[in-house]
Amino acid sequence: MKQFRKMTYPYIIWITIMIVVPMLLIVLYAFTRKGNEVTTFLFTLENFKKFFSDTIFLEVLWRSLRVAIETTIVCILIGYPAAYYISKSQEEVKMRWVLLITIPTWINMLVRTYAWIGILQDDGIINSLLGLAGIGPVTMLHTDFAVVLGMVYNFIPFMILQIYTSLTKMDHSLIEAASDLGANKFESFLRVTLPLSLPGIISGITLVFLPAVSSFFIPKLLGGGQYVLIGTVIESQFLTSGDWNFGSAISLIMAVIIMLSMYLTRKVDRGEQSETGVL
Amino acid sequence: MRKLIQFKNIVKEFDGQLVLKGINLDIYENEFVTLLGPSGCGKTTLLRILGGFLEPTQGTVIFDNADITKLPPYKRDLNTVFQKYALFPHMNVFDNVAFGLKIKKEPKDIIEQKVNRMLKLVGLEEYSKRGVAEMSGGQQQRVAIARALVNEPGVLLLDEPLGALDLKLRKEMQHELKKIQQEVGITFIYVTHDQEEALTMSDKIVVMKEGEIQQIGTPTDIYNEPINEYVARFIGESNIVEGIMVADNKVMFEDKVFECVDKGFSENERVDIVIRPEDLDIVGPRSGKLKGVVKSVLFKGVHYETIVETTSGTSITVKMYVSNDKPVINNDAGEMMSANDFYIDVADIEDLNDAVIVDRADAQAWDSESEERISISKIEYEVAPVNGTYPVTFKTSSGTEVTVNMIVSDINRVVNEDYQEEIYAVKFHKKVDEIQESIVLDTDLKTWANATAWDLEDGTSVEITDVEYNFDPATIVPGVYNVTFKTKGYQYMIDTTDKAEIGSVVGLSFTPQDLHIMSKI
Amino acid sequence: MKMKLHRKIFMIALIVFFYAPILYIIIFSFNDSRSLTTLSGFSLQWYEKMFKDDTMMESVFYTIAIAVLATVISTVIGTITAIGLSKSRKLIKNLVEQVNELPIMNPEIVTAIGLLMFFSALHMKKGFLTLLAAHIMFCVPYVILSINPKLRSLNPNLADAAMDLGATPWQAMIKVIVPQIMPGIISGALIAFTMSFDDFIISYFVTGNGVSNISITVYTMSKRVNPSINALSTLIIIILTIVLLLANVIPALVDKRKNKILKNKEMYE
Repeated sequence: MKQFRKMTYPYIIWITIMIVVPMLLIVLYAFTRKGNEVTTFLFTLENFKKFFSDTIFLEVLWRSLRVAIETTIVCILIGYPAAYYISKSQEEVKMRWVLLITIPTWINMLVRTYAWIGILQDDGIINSLLGLAGIGPVTMLHTDFAVVLGMVYNFIPFMILQIYTSLTKMDHSLIEAASDLGANKFESFLRVTLPLSLPGIISGITLVFLPAVSSFFIPKLLGGGQYVLIGTVIESQFLTSGDWNFGSAISLIMAVIIMLSMYLTRKVDRGEQSETGVL
Repeated sequence: MRKLIQFKNIVKEFDGQLVLKGINLDIYENEFVTLLGPSGCGKTTLLRILGGFLEPTQGTVIFDNADITKLPPYKRDLNTVFQKYALFPHMNVFDNVAFGLKIKKEPKDIIEQKVNRMLKLVGLEEYSKRGVAEMSGGQQQRVAIARALVNEPGVLLLDEPLGALDLKLRKEMQHELKKIQQEVGITFIYVTHDQEEALTMSDKIVVMKEGEIQQIGTPTDIYNEPINEYVARFIGESNIVEGIMVADNKVMFEDKVFECVDKGFSENERVDIVIRPEDLDIVGPRSGKLKGVVKSVLFKGVHYETIVETTSGTSITVKMYVSNDKPVINNDAGEMMSANDFYIDVADIEDLNDAVIVDRADAQAWDSESEERISISKIEYEVAPVNGTYPVTFKTSSGTEVTVNMIVSDINRVVNEDYQEEIYAVKFHKKVDEIQESIVLDTDLKTWANATAWDLEDGTSVEITDVEYNFDPATIVPGVYNVTFKTKGYQYMIDTTDKAEIGSVVGLSFTPQDLHIMSKI
Repeated sequence: MKMKLHRKIFMIALIVFFYAPILYIIIFSFNDSRSLTTLSGFSLQWYEKMFKDDTMMESVFYTIAIAVLATVISTVIGTITAIGLSKSRKLIKNLVEQVNELPIMNPEIVTAIGLLMFFSALHMKKGFLTLLAAHIMFCVPYVILSINPKLRSLNPNLADAAMDLGATPWQAMIKVIVPQIMPGIISGALIAFTMSFDDFIISYFVTGNGVSNISITVYTMSKRVNPSINALSTLIIIILTIVLLLANVIPALVDKRKNKILKNKEMYE
């Protein structure tokens, strides 16, 4: 099979250069002092100190996490029933629903987010409708609400599709077995369906939380210029203030936080699994 | 005959594991050679090395006097019929068969001629435009053979080609393959784990085990003169008993000396003796060379497969005390409760816990109205690892209680030196209705008596195959009964056309030629 | 099972949520005035402006050029690599697959700054080539991921069988393996195309010197009210809808043709 193995060599070289080296560069920059020449690097923990000693950065980090967690929770609360209803509908209808939910994700995220600027404005369509009901106008653009809405809008399809997949993969006879063993509809949902769809929820969380915590154009477009999240800080370090070392350090901190939270979610998942495994 | 293929000291290692340990094998022209062995013995690896899909870690492969060890598969003059055929699903039958010829850029008309001739050979000329997915397993098999043979290879390699077919089709294809081989007159190298297939088709069988060749020979050689216990067990069914060569032509087993035709062993060498089931005859109990009890008879179509046990296994007999005790009734709480006295081995006292006690005493409580089970909330007892009788009290939360005796003793084991086995069981108490209500009495008796047996050498558990008792469970009355538990003894399988009665005592006869003596591995 | 009323309402609300912004863009792209909130009449002026705007037109060109090139290149590389990996040792396979997942699992912004620093360290001029290289980098993993399941369900002996019959490894791949995994390759290419076509974050960091794609143009222009963005967005929606329709319709049509031919054949036979 040597002949076939050789076919992977070009790509192995490519990913080493294009994926591994850039990752190493981030680590290298994060632990070194300013200076853009590769040869003049000096080891330092200065960048991390700067981040953790400045309350502004910590506040930004906290806000990013809060927004991401809120987004994830809303996505689960809306996404689960949606996925559940779709999985319960007829076979042909199912495919149509899945297509309807997938199509928007194929359209440029930026374009779709941009649309919300008009909709959420003080004299936009929502406030006009509220005005007819005698409410408002409510300022929505450039608030937490707008940012979370934008994120939910962009990321919820992933949550729905993940949960939907885990629900359809589930052996329907398990639910029949549960009701055969005397569980009513609600009980069999709680004790069988929900635990078995947990892996779907977990991967849905991964697909929502990860881009939400690092997002930078949604806060910029819907949160306005003053609305700062960790992604926007990284962007400005690289494209405006030019402090790549500090920017790399923040990215590294973010990456570690994301990895930790993913690890914890997966662990919770496994814990639940082993508990329900006794059932 | 000319030597066509030579394997010279082939060694193959996968991730530090030796799959082939130095194979030397010569294959001649026009031979039907079978590599036979269980899965994981290295037979497929050897075939894939010959096909060029794997390179040996060490050693050389000579084909037609040329070293082909490092030659890629597409430059080798041999073709393969793969496991599960590996037909190209996106091509029809014709294109599958024509694949090799098209690669060689043969002219179109020649391709058509050759393919059609080949499809005729395998009887598929009607199906050339069919998609391969629409073909049955047997037809796909033929397409795979045609696809390989159309390239006129010097050797055809077949990797478990009949594995995916059902029994009847497999038999048909065995004859067909042999016919095709004789017709095209090339060497077939056939890999299988099915000894019957090997015996039916081969000119030469190579028996393999764990990366080594055990024996090479014609089917008759291998069947009649297996070189060791492994080969004997693998090829056909056989009775293998341990014995001692007391002298040339004299072998001792089951404490008797028998005539045989083998010699050349050292004096008192421990050997294995193979006796094929069809070589044994069932005769009257007095006229046989061995005597035993018929344990089972299975009808196999042409013959009866009879199992005769000459020596019984390890056994233990325990007493079963059957009583007519009624459950305790607690009218205040509307509850009923029952439990029985039980015996326990001194050695088990250490691991004693509530669950074990409830189990052994068979303690149960239930609502006298609805018969629904009620949990036993409390168990009171005191015990020491000394023989004696200890009271145990079971209570429910509403106060219903029953007290029984736990009898600790240490005389419940039987050791069998011959078999290196130990068997264990204890006396037990039961009620008439429990015995009558049992739906799996043998299993329940084993559980009640806590009967277990194990190998003294490695501690693995040994199955208790027989449970014997002399009462009729349907009409049992209170009293004391013997229950005997037994492991498997020395058993012989005999193929005869006469039916023996199960349980009857019979004799077994054989001639000196029927005993095949093998050295221990 | 019919949907109950409250379920219906819930699902309809969800679909409105999904599609209202898209419709909103399309409607306002035909608006007469600059406003993003009030419709004052129908006009095509924003389309006119868009077509006259060089930055916008260039970004459309770059987006399509990059997407097509990145799709073709990453599909070819991804297919070859996936096939090679399926025959590789477990260790190498696992290692490559893990590195492969990095760009998918990592936040895009991390990948983006890594590439930015990498290109700068090499003193590469940021522009078309860096953009293309970055797009190929994040497209190939998706191609490999969509081909892998097809390869796994393949009879592992197919390539061996082809080589046994005299095909070189290359011939075995083209004539036997590729036709078998075609659906995976097509869906991989489709994912690669939309990923590249829609990408903003990575492109934003690795491009420069006047080369920008639609996303970047929308982002930089969105700072001021500019209804041409709506026109451009509508254009994108139309292009993507056509691509999706083709991708979904063509295989279906081919299938129909095939079935028809097969049926005709059966009738004649």
